[in-house]
Amino acid sequence: MSRIGVFICHCGTNIGGVVNVPEVVEAARHMPLVAFADENKYTCSEVGQSSIRNAIAEHKLDRVVIASCSPRMHENTFRRTVTAAGINPYLLEMANLREHCSWVHSDARDATSKAIDLVRMAVSKVARHEALFPKQIGLTKRALVIGGGVTGIQAALDIAASGHEVVLVEKEPSIGGRMAQLDKTFPTLDCSACILTPKMVDVAQHPKITLLSYSEIVDVRGFVGNFEVDILRKAKLVDYEKCTGCGLCWQACPEKIPSEFNLGLGHRTAIYIPFAQAVPNKPVIDIANCRYENYRRWKETEEGEEPPQCRICEGVCPTEAIDRTQQDEIITEKFGAIVVTTGFKTFDYSVYGEYGGGRYPNVITSLQLERLMSAAGPTEGEVLRPSDGTHPKSVVFIQCVGSRDDKVNRPYCSKVCCMYTAKHAIMLKEHDPEVQCYVFYIDIRAGGKDFEEFARRAQDETGALYLRGRVSQIYQQGDKLMVLGEDSLMGRPVEITADLVVLATGMEPSENAAEIAQTLNISYNTYNFLIEAHPKLRPVETQTDGIFVAGAAVGPRDIPECVAHGSAAAVKAVALLSQDSLTTDPLISVVDPMKCVGCFACKEVCPFNAIEEQVTRDGRTISSINESVCKGCGLCVVACRPGAINLRGFTNQQLLSEVLTLVGR
Amino acid sequence: MEADFTSQIREKARELLEKGTVECVIGYETGSDGVSARPSFIYNPSEVERLVFDNTCSHNLVKYLLDKKGKPTAIVVKGCDSRALNLLLSEKQLQRDQIFIIGVVCPGVVEWGWNRRSEQFQKRCDLCRQHTPLVYDLLIGTPVTEEPPPEFTDIAEMSARATEERASFWREQAERCLRCYACRQACPGCYCIDCFVEQLDPEWVGIRIATGENLMWNTIRAFHLAGRCIACNECERVCPVNLPLSLLNRKLEEEMLELFDYRAGMSEDATAPLITFIKEEKLGIGE
Ligand SMILES: Cc1cc2nc3c(=O)[nH]c(=O)nc-3n(C[C@H](O)[C@H](O)[C@H](O)COP(=O)(O)OP(=O)(O)OC[C@H]3O[C@@H](n4cnc5c(N)ncnc54)[C@H](O)[C@@H]3O)c2cc1C
Ligand code: SF4
Ligand code: SF4
Ligand code: SF4
Repeated sequence: MSRIGVFICHCGTNIGGVVNVPEVVEAARHMPLVAFADENKYTCSEVGQSSIRNAIAEHKLDRVVIASCSPRMHENTFRRTVTAAGINPYLLEMANLREHCSWVHSDARDATSKAIDLVRMAVSKVARHEALFPKQIGLTKRALVIGGGVTGIQAALDIAASGHEVVLVEKEPSIGGRMAQLDKTFPTLDCSACILTPKMVDVAQHPKITLLSYSEIVDVRGFVGNFEVDILRKAKLVDYEKCTGCGLCWQACPEKIPSEFNLGLGHRTAIYIPFAQAVPNKPVIDIANCRYENYRRWKETEEGEEPPQCRICEGVCPTEAIDRTQQDEIITEKFGAIVVTTGFKTFDYSVYGEYGGGRYPNVITSLQLERLMSAAGPTEGEVLRPSDGTHPKSVVFIQCVGSRDDKVNRPYCSKVCCMYTAKHAIMLKEHDPEVQCYVFYIDIRAGGKDFEEFARRAQDETGALYLRGRVSQIYQQGDKLMVLGEDSLMGRPVEITADLVVLATGMEPSENAAEIAQTLNISYNTYNFLIEAHPKLRPVETQTDGIFVAGAAVGPRDIPECVAHGSAAAVKAVALLSQDSLTTDPLISVVDPMKCVGCFACKEVCPFNAIEEQVTRDGRTISSINESVCKGCGLCVVACRPGAINLRGFTNQQLLSEVLTLVGR
Repeated sequence: MEADFTSQIREKARELLEKGTVECVIGYETGSDGVSARPSFIYNPSEVERLVFDNTCSHNLVKYLLDKKGKPTAIVVKGCDSRALNLLLSEKQLQRDQIFIIGVVCPGVVEWGWNRRSEQFQKRCDLCRQHTPLVYDLLIGTPVTEEPPPEFTDIAEMSARATEERASFWREQAERCLRCYACRQACPGCYCIDCFVEQLDPEWVGIRIATGENLMWNTIRAFHLAGRCIACNECERVCPVNLPLSLLNRKLEEEMLELFDYRAGMSEDATAPLITFIKEEKLGIGE
């Protein structure tokens, strides 16, 4: 027979001011299996807790009900209290007399009788509690970082600095992400490459970091501490062991393809590095465009015209590093933690017919302007019009292209565009003092350290004309662009003759963000930005333990924020990897193999992918719950028709006995 | 036509058993009253002549496949029964490659009893929208274009009654329930090893026969079939005290259609709405 102790808390006057506590204590004394009942002014105080410990010893109590505040508040406190007195922490049940009773009722008599019911239910539940014990599971002390932009670079470096191994997977031939494409960075105008390149080189040289460029994630299995990841390593056709990155091949390659890195403003070769400071500084062969690869494909069918058998790169390579036998390869690696930093792409403005939808060569995006301004860019830093290579003198900027616009389903603010447009106005004036800039904006959002000052500078010092309003149309007239818009502050239409129009296209998640999120079983919003576990308090965690998110993949962010979040995610990953084993919460679901019929309704509803298939000795395929993955949400319990699943600590028996107690049976 | 269906079934059954493609053919044979059909299990090619198909073949045989797991089996299914196959396939209770499906385009089955066979179609046949099986390996009969009849007129009449009136109607029905569980035994969706109604810890429903407990039994069973009931109406047919169980089942079927545009058993890889969450779905709360 159990001996249950019941402790009712006054919580100062929080509970005691409404509920008649002595009456509840008296009622509790007569409840089944209750061996002792008492009250406390503040149960959570040291005095309160020691009185519980004493009562447990003195009255040989083996289960405890504490009727006080919400378990969210003090359940852990009281679990420690009873543990100290030798009782298993899960033989404790709390009745919430504050949030569920005294705070929401004013009638003392009713509140008291409800309090008695709540205590009675808790007593009947705790009588059916079982002692539970957490389990220990091992972990792989190794982290995976997906996406090598500035965020991923920072996260990888910080995790490696703690002594843990890191694998950084980047889908492009080089790390660097969007920041590598920028010229100068607001608000300090330091050169992007100058501050990023050293970090990229650190990644390449760090003994704890393995960089897998030109690679992607294809499958993720397992759970916190024990992930198993399939990584696709795309064929580069270059043996990186032999290649020295001398560059003879890409200087010799005759095939010219529009450069992705320069956003179509220049060319690259078929064997290429995307930009001069690329890390790794070794080329890949673009199989779709390589002349000899075209020949090899032709050879299979011999249909159509025979392409040239180029192989010039092979001829010039001093180390015989070109390896045509390479194939795409999938490798499987184990990790304890995963950080997702897949970054962003810019909004495709071609849906805006009024801006020419991509038809006018002199309407470019801000990111293209970054490439034009960059000394390492296609024009070596001279801002020239794509159509005729002349210097633009009148430049119109349009902000919020694909941001804050319900029409294109992008109601959110991309946060960085006001600032980089101000940067562009300042930089253009520096490049050419004769330039006149016009900026169409909705609001100037310059919240951030030194941001407002910077945005002001663009307006005050460069003579840029800031016009509040949207542009209704752009059309070509001769070699000029006519920009029709509205100055809503002056309440009049404006028409500007421009040499160049720059669209501040908004940020949206990378191409395959949703796919990656599904593979990892983490959430994403309607725009495919990844969702944090809590937007304020758990900004880099996800609802899947062991998977962290950071950078522009989570939402529009500038570089300082991305770096901070990259470091934050690294700390969380390191905190996980620093443990020698992981403790699992015993309050999870368990399957009764005798009742399970293997319909796997549970598997469909489990938001955490905790349900696995298991074959019984008599050959039935039934459900089994992975203890390290289950969060104890209880969804499966509800979905299971024959009631084969029970949530420990909230079993069907326990809950039903509460209900039956309440209805007086 | 009946003779023709019968001979085609026999022919296929013989072939399957002779070749050893299947171990058993589940079909229908004439019962001991010489009038009505009963389920038949044929293991030997020499016995295929027992098989028949006529308008008393109302049993949904799919339930018997659950006892044949892991053994190649052939089965005769009507249109409505084929939805049960899909249901059980989607709930991973059957393996498609273990089953040879002899589908029959069903002309409808009649009301019958011991030594008695009327000319009147069963109610479910009047409401039927699936005369042609959805899934089969061999189809007997010519597929018909379905002209779905109005389905829920009786449900609408029931819903129109006052709440109190409905409550007392169902209380009266529950009072008559014998708790024999014949409905469950006949239902293809009820394949639990340990049905909630027989569990003692926790005791979800009291085991004694009392109106409240009976109501609980009938209601929970209906809910367990929500989005799963394939409208074969076997439960109502087998109930010894003729409880109007289809009113409950079809009310839920109507809700499923309205809320989720979903009918159970229409495809073998469907996921029932009650175990999925799609943001766009109507919640049906407070509407
Ligand atoms: C025009 C413009 C100007 C800007 N100017 C400034 C500025 O002056 N100052 C400032 O602070 N911020 C500026 N920003 C913002 C800045 O670019 C971003 O904050 C920053 O680059 C985000 O870094 P990230 O690492 O999160 O994402 P990204 O830079 O996008 O990096 C993500 C990386 O992940 C890789 N990746 C994506 N998907 C996968 C996958 N499935 N598998 C493997 N790898 C993958 C990508 O190839 C990429 O390398 C500007 C942005 C724009 C558009
Ligand atoms: S309790 Fe929740 S997390 Fe655990 S197995 Fe069930 S549905 Fe999944
Ligand atoms: S409803 Fe009919 S068949 Fe079902 S248990 Fe009751 S009496 Fe038996
Ligand atoms: S009534 Fe429910 S628990 Fe019982 S057999 Fe049917 S589905 Fe399973």
